[in-house]
Amino acid sequence: MKGPLLKITNLSKRYDGNKIALKNITLEIQPKEFVVIIGPSGAGKSTLIRCLNQLVKPSEGEIIFDGEDISKAKGKKLRQLRGKIGMIFQHYNLISRTNVLKNVLNGKLGSVPFWVSTFGLYSQEDRLQAYNLLKTVGLQDSLYQQAKDLSGGQMQRVGICRALMQEPSLILADEPIASLDPKSSEVVMDYLKKVTEERDLTCIVNLHQVEVAKKYATRIIGVREGEIVFDGTSEELSEDIIKNIYHLPEKKQEVILPVPGFVAEGEAVYE
Amino acid sequence: MNSSGHNPSVPLQQMSVIKRRLTYMMVLVFITFPFIYLKVNPLEILTAYPSIVSFFGENFFPPDFSGFKNYVPLIIETLLFAVVGTYISAILAFILGLAMSENINPIALVRWLVRTFSSLVRNIPVLVWASLLVYIFGIGSMVGLLALILATLGFLTRSYAETIDDIADTKLEALKANGASPIQVIVNGLMPEFIPSWVNWTLFSFEINIRASAILGMVGAGGIGIMIQTNIRLFKYQEALALIITLVILILLTEFAVTKIRKAIL
Ligand SMILES: Nc1ncnc2c1ncn2[C@@H]1O[C@H](COP(=O)(O)OP(=O)(O)OP(=O)(O)O)[C@@H](O)[C@H]1O
Ligand SMILES: [Mg+2]
Repeated sequence: MKGPLLKITNLSKRYDGNKIALKNITLEIQPKEFVVIIGPSGAGKSTLIRCLNQLVKPSEGEIIFDGEDISKAKGKKLRQLRGKIGMIFQHYNLISRTNVLKNVLNGKLGSVPFWVSTFGLYSQEDRLQAYNLLKTVGLQDSLYQQAKDLSGGQMQRVGICRALMQEPSLILADEPIASLDPKSSEVVMDYLKKVTEERDLTCIVNLHQVEVAKKYATRIIGVREGEIVFDGTSEELSEDIIKNIYHLPEKKQEVILPVPGFVAEGEAVYE
Repeated sequence: MNSSGHNPSVPLQQMSVIKRRLTYMMVLVFITFPFIYLKVNPLEILTAYPSIVSFFGENFFPPDFSGFKNYVPLIIETLLFAVVGTYISAILAFILGLAMSENINPIALVRWLVRTFSSLVRNIPVLVWASLLVYIFGIGSMVGLLALILATLGFLTRSYAETIDDIADTKLEALKANGASPIQVIVNGLMPEFIPSWVNWTLFSFEINIRASAILGMVGAGGIGIMIQTNIRLFKYQEALALIITLVILILLTEFAVTKIRKAIL
């Protein structure tokens, strides 16, 4: 493909008309980039990523994805564009009382007619593809387990397979490892990196952990108070810049709360 | 920090003395006022028990099961009222629940209409529905069924809608992001997630309905209730007791069955 996969121009988002979450974001993302967005809580990372597939409606601006303006798309057209964008969630958002295989096949919902999904009439090719995807993340033995019985790390791997089942050209991940322990986090990030590289996919990931961002990203974007304050490679992301993104004050005096000296006859005593 | 060495006292709660006394007064009034207003002597209630017990013992025992054969159709009728009333309301309430859910139905006017309808039918007791419908349609089984359906429908619609909203908040977003159509989101996302609550709420209203359907007969709306009523009016207390025992066993059996079904499904 020639040109950027994603072209965002003057994107702004105001929640409920007043709270400004994004201010005039302009950004281009090239195919095969692995972009990590970092920034403090409330900076607008989730808002930005959700605007890209219209789970959040932008207030202003234009988002050209694959040559089409997704921010103007509606109904069938929007569903078709969403079908080309896989999404991975912090809380996995699997259908918990549905088995692993069907959860992965849900990735096909955007491209099969409703009677196929309703009565489970997926083709053998689709089923085989889902099986193979699960195999690449080491879950081929859990096909018929209900999603609710999996560990967090396993759920997120199913989440990745569901996104890949769409055969997307772009993958969005909103804090995919925020609810996982360090070991599972590494497994999930390794898989995500591996599958996107193998398939030449573009990936945009929100993360809280700067070290993880540096390890996997080909490009890091720092967001603060709805604005992009850094855009560069892992090497360019210096300590000073990190401080600036997270807006760490020089060294604030700690507030000392009174602590009871001892407890006498059931009552706290301050000295 | 305080270095003077004084130990300030720390009260366990912040309520002032006046407020505390007022609270005690209110509780006292709440306990005594109804008796004064109703002109009932609480002691009389206690002393009434022996005569109730002896009246019961003399007139109701032993239960007379000789006419049991004649009750069987009525017992079946009572049971079937509850079964049919519950499943028809469960299906209708699912549709209405979807229509009332903010996350599923974007049309505010329809949501409002459904909410108003469901709270209206829910807040009219089933016996009032039955007497009203008997007045309109005359005595008969159809009336009992209709009354049950209306009362259950209101209750289930609200319960379902709340559960649907909870589910839709998080899980279904993922399917929307996949490019799923609204119908696919409902069928492939909402329904599987909804099954446990659906089973729970539906069984719960079935238990309520079996009790309700037993008394519907008292206003002429069919079922076993009419026989209990008739026997008491004719002073056939022993037969009435046999019916009451049958009814209690029926209710206990359904509770037992419902618990089993719950365990098996959830
Ligand atoms: N649905 C909403 N309604 C109103 N305000 C919202 C909504 N979602 C987010 N916001 C506000 O928009 C701002 C950006 O939120 P966003 O969730 O995008 O931040 P974030 O960078 O993802 O934060 P976190 O790291 O905590 O997930 C915040 O101030 C937040 O309070
Ligand atoms: Mg977020």
